[in-house]
Amino acid sequence: MANQQSNRILTVSRAMSEAIAQEMRSDPSVFVMGEDIATYGGIFGATAGLLDEFGEARVRDTPISETAFIGAGVGAAMAGMRPIVELMFVDFFGVCMDAIYNLAAKNTFFSGGNCKVPLVIMTATGGGYSDAGQHSQTLHATFAHLPGLKVIAPSNAYDAKGLMISAIRDDNPVLYMFHKGLQGLAWMAWPETAANVVPDEAYTVPFGEAKIVRPGKDVTIVAISMMVHRAMEAAAELEKQGVDAEVIDLRTLVPLDRETVIKSVAKTGRLIVVDEDYSSYGMSAEIITSVAEHDPGALKARPQRIAFPDIPIPYSRPMEQWALPNADKIRVAAQEMLGRKAA
Amino acid sequence: MADVRIPDDLWDTSKTPEGIVANWFYRDGSEVPANETIAEIMVEKTNYEIAAPAAGTLRITVPKDGVVRPGTVIGRIEG
Repeated sequence: MANQQSNRILTVSRAMSEAIAQEMRSDPSVFVMGEDIATYGGIFGATAGLLDEFGEARVRDTPISETAFIGAGVGAAMAGMRPIVELMFVDFFGVCMDAIYNLAAKNTFFSGGNCKVPLVIMTATGGGYSDAGQHSQTLHATFAHLPGLKVIAPSNAYDAKGLMISAIRDDNPVLYMFHKGLQGLAWMAWPETAANVVPDEAYTVPFGEAKIVRPGKDVTIVAISMMVHRAMEAAAELEKQGVDAEVIDLRTLVPLDRETVIKSVAKTGRLIVVDEDYSSYGMSAEIITSVAEHDPGALKARPQRIAFPDIPIPYSRPMEQWALPNADKIRVAAQEMLGRKAA
Repeated sequence: MADVRIPDDLWDTSKTPEGIVANWFYRDGSEVPANETIAEIMVEKTNYEIAAPAAGTLRITVPKDGVVRPGTVIGRIEG
């Protein structure tokens, strides 16, 4: 009764663990495994409280062998379970990539559709907190490039819960990429806009539907994950200068909602793509190409991508902050596009 | 009216005298149900949940990131 219309504000980490708990209650085939996900509750809080409720059989701490437990996840999924496996940092994918892209991503196809692989791999992404080059990458495109995987990256708690439930119920392997700096952890700075009102009941957010988080008419800014918040900060600054930016949160990379982006650019004529992943061969190139392929005449100005330069992520705080996309870089790009002098 | 109070024995203050309000899960002025987790406190790297002592309207007196000790009143529930 009291919660019929919830005004409860959850952090992303709590939204994720609540989604998992609700699906575990309703479906006995759902279980979780990974490094430090049980007793510790996940180093980024995504599985907090699950061990107490569901016990060791369904919430399993694993040894430090991604090769073994991601592979076990694929096998369990093909045997009829719905495993959620945490790859602690996406940067660690190297030792389990065969299981991800040769087994999980392909087995449905190789079996002629006779086997399903309803596996969720959740993994922490992102930098900005001086954790160096093998703990700070986002690697969106590395996985989005591979056919057979769905790839999602929520920017806020509401989407984090709904996308997690969609991921668990999906019969295909889903890479659920959550940004550490959005989790709402007390020991890491996070944008307060990442926490928002999350309904108590289980609900889904569909894959392949981008969200226009700020409608505008002058320039389209496409982003995902943490960069949605940077784009919104830039849009707030641009508004003071009379520029009306439209901000699109893609929410899922595979499937990709090209239509929403194309419609937006048809209206604004200007396109900026912001991605914390490396610049070359990435999401930014894919979005710009999708628009250009559809209608090269839609653009009134050259499109711009604001992404991480093609260098390993520096540990040094000033160097990392210099390299990361931020609101100011987005603002300057928009002003240039509109033929205004950047302040 | 009920105080939202950090329990006296929540952590060992001889080792760590202070903690912070890590998060509020309802905005100031929200209606909250009794026993619902409404805030979390962080001490070193340990989080503690604080539940609403009663149903009613939440008034926050120590905001997010505010420093707290066992016994600190961080808000009240007006009924």
